[in-house]
Amino acid sequence: MWSALIADARLCSRLRWPPGHSGLRRALIWFRSSGLLVLALQRVSYGYLQQRAQRGWTAGTILLRILIGLTRRPMMILTKCDVDDSIQIDPGVYLSDRGYLILGPVRIGSGTLIHERVTIGVRAGDPGKPVIGENVWIGPDCVIYGNLSVGDGATVLPGAVVSMSVPARAVAAGNPATIVRREFDNTALRGSLARDVDPQSLAPR
Amino acid sequence: MSKYWETVRADIHRCVSGKETSVRRVLASIWNQMGLQAVLVYRFGQLLRAARRRILLWPLLPLGWLIYGVAVLWVRHAYGIRLALSADIGAGFWVGHFGGVEVVNCRLGERCSVGQQTRVGRVEDVNGPCVGDGAWIGAHARITGQVKVGEGVTIAPGARVTRNVPDRALVVGDPGRVVFRGYDNTRILPRAPAP
Repeated sequence: MWSALIADARLCSRLRWPPGHSGLRRALIWFRSSGLLVLALQRVSYGYLQQRAQRGWTAGTILLRILIGLTRRPMMILTKCDVDDSIQIDPGVYLSDRGYLILGPVRIGSGTLIHERVTIGVRAGDPGKPVIGENVWIGPDCVIYGNLSVGDGATVLPGAVVSMSVPARAVAAGNPATIVRREFDNTALRGSLARDVDPQSLAPR
Repeated sequence: MSKYWETVRADIHRCVSGKETSVRRVLASIWNQMGLQAVLVYRFGQLLRAARRRILLWPLLPLGWLIYGVAVLWVRHAYGIRLALSADIGAGFWVGHFGGVEVVNCRLGERCSVGQQTRVGRVEDVNGPCVGDGAWIGAHARITGQVKVGEGVTIAPGARVTRNVPDRALVVGDPGRVVFRGYDNTRILPRAPAP
């Protein structure tokens, strides 16, 4: 878990400040990024759920339970995020600091960027949850719902409402979402916190 | 007055089903569900508004409005749920999740449900939308303008409604299109209303 937390902090500081900034600034990132705090609490809760499933109620799990119970509501109100405990989040994920994230998928792959006001959850009346792959870029104001998977390296443009699977390396846009392009490299998009996509880069070659 | 309590009961029964109602369960769901807290604060505001007509209650009103103001500020800034008194919301209202809900200058029928990031009506428009009974409004949906939305309508997550919608329709997309008529949304309602 610690390595995952450090990977998150690395990714966050790399996105926020280009290389060459002082180490002190990087060390203090935990106090400046609410998305990181949300991730940290989620990882602790996920670890707690797993420990409880394996070992049942021990002194450690009881202590963790009390800690999580006390911090959950204040963190929800301060960060405006509700990230489900049972999500398997791989190391090195960025969640937006601007909040209003409501996430409930099965898994989020490493290297994924999720911007603000994003909802990922179930379709009403259907328990199937989405799966988010690795290196996915999800823009602000997106809704992803239903029993679907977003493939590795996929891009979901701002404001998209996705209710069907997105293949790997594809670009989904629009409301309701359609695949506007296949084979798009989102490395440049994931390299910074810029939230608006240059339409030129998406134009078919 | 009894009508008011019926309304509040209907709101609570959207979160606690009729059979398993007990004081403990009701208090637990008020504590756990921020949407229910917001709805109860809104109902308290309605009560204060109705109390204006009774002169005997006037000495109590300043204290009531003070409590209401603090509660509304808390609900708006901590939870991001804004249910303005300019909206006329029917009994059995359900706010699914906290965050970015804005219901102003509109009329909502009975047993409506809204998700997070939903906007119904705008602060600028005095005459807002009019939504019928039993509507289900998904997350990130927006209903703006002076439109009439029918009964039992289902508005899919992320849909933007700017035109009139017939009864029991399913609206999807931006701009909102009716993709299905005669859609039964009672299956997707979170909890059956109390009998």
